[in-house]
Parts: sequence; structure tokens; C-alpha cells
Amino acid sequence: MSKGFLAQGSFTTTEKRQNIKMKLGIAGLCLAIFIALLSAFWISRSPPVPTAIADFKAPFVFGRFSIPEDNPLTEEAFQLGRRLFYDPMLSGDNSMSCATCHQQERAFTDGQPVALGHGGKELAFNSMSLANLLWGPRRFFWDGRSPTLEHQALQPLINPDEMQQPLDELVRELKSAPEYPEMFWKAYGEVSEENVARALATFMRMLISANSKYDRYLRGELRLSPQEEHGRKLFMAHPDVKVSLRGGNCIDCHSQFVTAGFSDGWDGFINNGLDAEQNLGRGLEAVTGDILDRGKFKTPTLRNIAVTGPYMHDGRFATLSEVLTHYNSGIQFSDTLSPLILEADNTVVDPIAAHGLGLAPKEVDAIIAFLHTLTDEAFLTEPKFSSPFEEETQ
Amino acid sequence: MFDFSLKFAALTASNTALIVGVLTASSQAQVREESRAMVLLRSLPTLSASHSVAIVELDPESEDFGKIISEVEQPELEHPLHHLYYSPNGRLYSTGLDPKCSLAEIGLARDSTGAPEVTGIQCLDTAGQMVGEDIMWTRSNGTEYMFVTFMGGLGQADGGTVGVFDAQTNEVIKVIEARKSEVGENAPYILYPHGISAFDDRMVVTSTVHPDLATGVGNTVTIIDLNTLEPVQTIEVQGEMPVGFPSSPVEVLFARPSIHEDIEPAVLVNTMFGFETWSIPYDAEAKTFGPAEVVYSGVQNGTAVPLEFYGNDTELFISHALPGVVKRYDLSKLPKLVSSGPDIVADAGAHHMIFFTTKSGREVIAIQNNLLNLGDAKANDPTDVDFIAGLNAHTITVHDLATGERLATVNFRERYKKGVDNVEGLFGAGFVHHH
Repeated sequence: MSKGFLAQGSFTTTEKRQNIKMKLGIAGLCLAIFIALLSAFWISRSPPVPTAIADFKAPFVFGRFSIPEDNPLTEEAFQLGRRLFYDPMLSGDNSMSCATCHQQERAFTDGQPVALGHGGKELAFNSMSLANLLWGPRRFFWDGRSPTLEHQALQPLINPDEMQQPLDELVRELKSAPEYPEMFWKAYGEVSEENVARALATFMRMLISANSKYDRYLRGELRLSPQEEHGRKLFMAHPDVKVSLRGGNCIDCHSQFVTAGFSDGWDGFINNGLDAEQNLGRGLEAVTGDILDRGKFKTPTLRNIAVTGPYMHDGRFATLSEVLTHYNSGIQFSDTLSPLILEADNTVVDPIAAHGLGLAPKEVDAIIAFLHTLTDEAFLTEPKFSSPFEEETQ
Repeated sequence: MFDFSLKFAALTASNTALIVGVLTASSQAQVREESRAMVLLRSLPTLSASHSVAIVELDPESEDFGKIISEVEQPELEHPLHHLYYSPNGRLYSTGLDPKCSLAEIGLARDSTGAPEVTGIQCLDTAGQMVGEDIMWTRSNGTEYMFVTFMGGLGQADGGTVGVFDAQTNEVIKVIEARKSEVGENAPYILYPHGISAFDDRMVVTSTVHPDLATGVGNTVTIIDLNTLEPVQTIEVQGEMPVGFPSSPVEVLFARPSIHEDIEPAVLVNTMFGFETWSIPYDAEAKTFGPAEVVYSGVQNGTAVPLEFYGNDTELFISHALPGVVKRYDLSKLPKLVSSGPDIVADAGAHHMIFFTTKSGREVIAIQNNLLNLGDAKANDPTDVDFIAGLNAHTITVHDLATGERLATVNFRERYKKGVDNVEGLFGAGFVHHH
């Protein structure tokens, strides 16, 4: 029985109530028989072979990605995952869906400094963009506490501060919902916690952003403006005063094409100088237990970065300008500060205590202009990534 | 966000979620793709097969070793594509030997399993320039261009051009041509250019051989001023003539401090028919080149047909088609060739190479062993050309990089009835100093 049904008010007389109860009882019995027959029908059938995603193409330059052998990309899994992603049934009180904190028009972030969980409670971290999760670090969340996307997908559901959804209850609800049993059947065979995770992971894996101005530039379809091109060059360069090479040092952490952190081991987690030693958050240390990982957080993708603010793991910077000011003059030294950041200085040869890049205002503006070329309007408005419920009501 | 209560922990089966979506050891290994190579395959005259572009697994530790992962036939051309190059933005190009397709861009994508696939080949307009050889991207007056050597030039007997292309649109910006018969005496000229390299505002191209291998042979390198895109100097590199031909400089490397900070700038040149490696010192301040000198003699060392320069962070590698070896040198000592280890013994025709790490972490070098895929008279092949036929093993050999030990061999002639013209790392260069 759905929670919505339980929430209905009562305003009828006792007799009427009894009649209604009787009718409801009969209807309930019929419904139970129908569900039982339906279940038997589903069980008696062999699961269909899921359909490969039609015309799937990912940019070659983004690099290799790997799909778990027990969760291949299929059309049925994607459609199921999309529906689950937007369905508030995934929260305990049916008030929140994944999309509450991951909104398509914001590249699947929420515009808040930190995510807001159940009852508006402020959570510890900023909502991460879900773009291009096929690439980048193979651990998920800012502190890397999830080893797979399937594992990650369920964590907000079961977290009492977030969606407060016991999974066994969710499975019961999904089995009772009119549309889900068949969708699960077609995608995976049965409704289960594992298959909820698989479907959500599939939907997230399919959120590929690869049609920004930068992508079209990479494909040779257009030119960047002189300012954007200047910014691109700075983005790609590690400064070297000895040879007069000016650089923004971005590529040292944000790989050239995907602009996410590196995928090897823990390379995608760094301390980017936000805080001095005494104020360092635990970050990756909370996962590895290694004090040398203190203050290291996941390097996020910069795809669509212009629409994903506020920035950093705790959303401390409201604008890209504030972010660049941090890298340019606000680096805080600590024991685990990335040496790539420590050494990045456009004003000092062989810096040992750098506090920032030392870029000129024009150079900062150029980098910001380049970052805006990473906005992918097609991704932000792609209908197949949008809520299916809105489609159904139109 | 982390603190979920015991109540919720008990209600959930979160541990079961851990078992789904986990990459197995084999799928983890798939993430690494540096051992997959782009290769250009060509039909051999007596074997019925088509020219193609393919992706091949070259990790000797992989069960797929030698397997073609993806393959697309080349357009209907008599002569195949020749050399592969990735642009700085990750676009894949190939030069071609057929006048109908002397330069092409190759489409690449990934399927829903993440596997790379070749999606197509688009021949580009070269404004009549023929027989593309080498490509490099460098700047002229602050703008990056794609420079391509065309050994056949515009078709004349003393032809040869360097094409300057818009790096974004592939449009021809300029054809750099200076035919010896048209420039004045002692004026710089460009003849059958093949190798190309650059440092600062100076580019160097070699004068190799007319594409028909009969009309003419070069013995010089030509310097191009990247400010004006005009040739400014031609330098002779002619010494021994062990086979009676001019030296035929083929590949060239502008050794420079950006390769290693200890390097004194100089141009290194391999002479295909002189069997030598030459060094031409360069004064970067005065922008002048010193006298050329031989720094390696194949006649004295029992090698012939030196071809390619490749390098990693510490070593320079030079392939010698005969007897089929790759010699290795201390990178920091360039332009002197100071040996850094014993030769890597490949097969006849040792030519292009890539470097990668195997599944278990072993560092290896894969060497493509073919000079040109012409046939062998012993196979009743009408395209046999004396001297060249013995330079075609049609193999890629994979060796331990530290010891040179041969770990495995793919014989493309036996396995696929094709020759292998070129090998390149799948995801960009498996090396750092080709030019």
C-alpha cells in the first residue's frame, strides 16, 4: 500500500466507512490476486535479452573506460535508471529524488555550497557534477569512499541525513508500483537493491558531456577566440620562469581532454592548498587512514564548470573568479599540499614556498574565458537526460 | 553525509551493493590500452587482401596478443596510407603514398564497452601535393600549423614540397616549394622531403629519394625559416656511398634543450643509403649551423639503412633496417651518440617503434620491421626490388626495454596476409621525441 494512500484524510460516516472497507477489501483481494498472477507471469518468463545502447559513441580522446561485466550499458537499464533517478520514491518520505541535488541544467549539481539533505539539513559536501563519470578517478564522492558507481548510487538513499530510504522497503515499493516490475524485468530480470544500484549507475555513466565549444574545437569544427585560446594555452602549461613559459597549471590535475582528475590509483585526489595544516579536512584520509592523505579531495571534472558553482568540496567559492584568486594568490601551505601546486609560480624560479600562480589579471580572465568553453548546452538540455515524469505529463 | 545510523545500516544490504559493479581483474586490465597499437596494414602483391587501418593488441601477456581489435579498409587506392601521427588535440592523421590520398584524417571513437574503434578515413585536399611522408605541428609567428612533407611534391622530377595546413580546418595555407631547377645557383632548395623537425623558428627537412626510387636521390637537408616559411639554407650530408647512391637523408631530429636540458642544439640526420648518422651543430643565438659531421658509420659498424629516431625520458633509439636492430643512446649526451646499452635485435626492416608497459608492469618496446612492403622474388612477387626485398620481415617484435630480450612476435604476413607499414601508440605517442 502506498504512503500516499495512507496519508488520505477520513471524512465519511461509520456505515459508509464499513462499505468502503468492504469494497476496499474486495478490491485489495483482487489487487493481490492480480499482483500474484502478474508476478507469476513475470517469473514464468525468461528475462529478455537487453538491447545495446543504439549508436553509442564516446569521444576517443577521453580515453579508455571500463564497464563492469555484470552491468553492461543497455537501453533498458538506462531507461530504468533514468526513471529511478528522477523518482522521489527513492527517498523515505517520497520528497527527494537524486535529481533534487543533481539538476540537469546545472550539469547535475544543485547550486548550493553544500548539498541539502532530508529536512533541509546541510550536508558535509558540495553536490558533485555527474558529467562524464565514465572517466576520471575510479573512486566516487569527494573523499573517494565509494569504490564503484554502483556502490555510490545507493549511499545517498540509505544515509539518514540524505534520503532516509531503507532499501528493503524501497524494493517492496518498487515491486508494487505499476511500471517498475516490467522495467526491471527487461533490464535485469528482477527488482532488487543491486539492480537499483546497477540501473542508477548506468544512467549516470550515460551522462556524457562532449559537445561543448572546446569539444568542437578539438574536432576542428571551430576556432576559439583569441582570449579563449590564450586561456587554453595557460590551462595546458605548467609555468617555468627559466624558459619564460607562463602557465595556469590546471592540466597538472585536470587531464587535458576530460578535464577530470587522473584515474590511476589515488592520483585523482589532491590537496589543492585550500587550508593550512591545522585546518585541513580529512578528505581521503577518512578512507585510507593514511595521514599523508589528509586534505586531499577528488579532482572534479571541469566540464560545464561555469554552471556548477559554488566550487570546491565545501562550496567555499561562489564564483570562478574566486577560484582563480585562490590559485593565483591564496595557496595555503600544508604537509600534503600537492607539489605540482607548490611548484607552480610564474614569478619565481624553483619556488619552495609558493603562494600562488602569480598570473596577471588578463591571464586570469583568459583562463576563465577558456573555462566557459567547457559549457555544453546540448548536455544541459538533452531530453534523454531529463525527467521522464515531465515527459509523461506533457 | 557519512554518519548513517545502525538502524539504517541494519535495514539495508549495503554490503551487497559492494559486490555489483566491481571491476574484475581482467576488466581492470582493459582500462590500460597503451599496449594497443594503431597500425597501417597493406595488401601484399601476391596475397589477396586489402589495405587497412587496424588496432592491434601488442601486450605479450594478453591472451589477445596479435589480435586485430578493430579494422577499417582503406579507400580504393593502389598505394596505401603510410605514416600515422596524432595532432596535439588528439586527432589522428595519416600520410599516404597514393596521389589520390596523400593525406587523410582517420576517425576514432569508442563503443559502449569502451573499446576503441576506427570509424572512417577521410582523404584531404593537398592542393596537388603527392606522396605524403611525415607530419609535425609547430608554430609560425604564434600560430600553430600542421606541416607535412610530400616526397613527390607537385609531380616534377626534382619536386618535393612542405605543405602548411590550418591545424583546425585542414585547409592548405601554403605550399613551400623550391625546386633545384628553378632556384638560382647556391640558393636553398627542397628535393623529395621526408624527415621533418623543428626548434625555435628553424625547421629542417631532408631530401630523400624520388618516390619512384629511380628518378633521383637526395643528399641534403634544407632549413626553413618559420617566420617567413621560406627555405634559407641547404646543407649537404654526403659521406660514404656503400651502395653507390647519394646518401638519401631520411629521418631527422632537431636535438634541443626541451628534449633534455643538457643537450646542445644540433640536427641529427640518418642517411638511408649512406648508412650514417650526421650531426649539424646549431647556434641558437646566431641562428647559424656549423659543419656537418658523421657521428655514426654503418659501414664501420656493420649496419645499414638507418631510419627512425625515437626517444623516452632517458634514451634515444635509432632503428637500422639491416640487420634489423635498434641502437640506444644516452639522451643527455646528444648530439653525441653515447651508447646506453646493447642493441635490441629485431627483424630485418627494423623501422618504427612504440613503448608501453605490459599488464604485469614490464616496460617493453615494440618494433615494426618493414622498410617498404614491397614483395619478395622468392614468393614469386613481381614487385621485388633488389636490396629492399630483404628489408621486409612483415613483423612487429616486442622486447623487454631493459634487456632487449625478444618476448613475442606478430608476423602479419603469415597471420593476416598483409604487411605492416607503420605502428603508433593507440592513445597518442608512445614516445616523446619523434621529431
